[in-house]
Amino acid sequence: MAAGMLNRGVLTFRLQCQLVSRSPSLTQVREKKRWMRAYTYIMAKKLQLEGPPPPKPRWQQPNWDYHSEVQAFSSRLHENFSLELLKTAFVNPCYVQAEQERRKQLDVDSETTALVLKDNLQLSKKGEGLTKSILTDWCRASFPSLPHEGVECIVGHLSSLSVVTYVARNLGIEDLTMSAEFPVPDEVLNSTFMAVIGALEESSGAERAAFFLRDFLLTQLMGKDLFDMWTVVNPMGLLVEELTKRNIPLPEPRLIRSAGASTVLPLYFVGLYSGTKLLAQGPGETLVGAEEEAARVALRKLYGFAENRRPFDFSPQQQHQRTLLQSVSSN
Amino acid sequence: MTSRGTPSRFLKSVLQNGVGRYFPQKFSRDFIEEGVVDFAKKNPGTVVYVSPQLCSIPKVVAEYLNGNTKEELLSNKTSQQVLEVLTKLTDQSGQDIIRIRKPYHTDSPSIQGQWHPFTHRPPSVGLIRPQNHRVE
Repeated sequence: MAAGMLNRGVLTFRLQCQLVSRSPSLTQVREKKRWMRAYTYIMAKKLQLEGPPPPKPRWQQPNWDYHSEVQAFSSRLHENFSLELLKTAFVNPCYVQAEQERRKQLDVDSETTALVLKDNLQLSKKGEGLTKSILTDWCRASFPSLPHEGVECIVGHLSSLSVVTYVARNLGIEDLTMSAEFPVPDEVLNSTFMAVIGALEESSGAERAAFFLRDFLLTQLMGKDLFDMWTVVNPMGLLVEELTKRNIPLPEPRLIRSAGASTVLPLYFVGLYSGTKLLAQGPGETLVGAEEEAARVALRKLYGFAENRRPFDFSPQQQHQRTLLQSVSSN
Repeated sequence: MTSRGTPSRFLKSVLQNGVGRYFPQKFSRDFIEEGVVDFAKKNPGTVVYVSPQLCSIPKVVAEYLNGNTKEELLSNKTSQQVLEVLTKLTDQSGQDIIRIRKPYHTDSPSIQGQWHPFTHRPPSVGLIRPQNHRVE
């Protein structure tokens, strides 16, 4: 017992000796640290009071080399970006302003160390225009009978903030963006994505940009229904218009099936007949609801947006070129 | 742990590749000398960071594009095994390695229309039956 206490006394003496000597190899102590428990409790209480620490952008975390990340970004997407254009595309005007203010605050001479950074406003506008035109063209080509408002709504949905920011986040654009705030706000991310499209168009041409948009934005259309993106208030009226345009007799609703009419969950199937041919049938809880659903089904069939339509062509580019060559040679 | 007690997810198609950032450690020095450069050349879409760190276990941290990180320990692994680990991490998508509820997923579950009890049933409402009292 006494020997143990003596040993402990020797240990603490040695500890104190080590604390006094400042060489790094001797100040590291591998024993049980008595301050560790109190420290852990205080840090946990601090976390509870203040909440979790704010997220840090990726470039402030270890292991980050901007140039190689940009190169990897361009090769990951199998695209030949010109690196300068791509780096310009990631610089946002809010970042340039914030940098200039920071330099002013640090009293750095603006003449000697001028901030030579072009922002991405031009590229972004170009990219946005290009995106809208490419998407509209593709929609018109895939759904030739879809009216103007429908095409606009689909294009609006695909270039909406939610879809574009989802795609941009999953492509790693958020890590490469240079913006004043973190986490990067949605509008800034949207304009960065459009600037990347603009940079791609300037580096490799509009065709490659079209393929890029097809592979990343148009794939978000898979599994989506037309009337999720296009809110139609009066589907029956729209259907009547469409049928008059095509000189087909106007639709007549007839009750086809009914079940549980006096229960809490009635079911009615209403079919729309033009002449004697069945256009479409749709279910609903009330007769009115069933008629509306039948009109919507008929519209989906007319515009070629039914669930069992031919899937979109996402074949890779070489095959696409081969089919073009074949069609040219056959003609 | 049963599959109900652990998290699970549905099968999701990956529309994006994964990014990897790796830092192998001192134990896999052979790999750093020989294999890393070839690996980096073969996968131009991933950035490999090699950093020595004091007194910690050699490990690889892979960061994926969807934000997930995965760590693998590399202690007592030969150069070949380290290469295998890295290939595995490159080929993975960044999704969580938890129980997948169904091994299939489709966006268009039915081509001819999903069956409901009224399919192929002769209609009983509004039947136009042949009239019995016909003028002969």
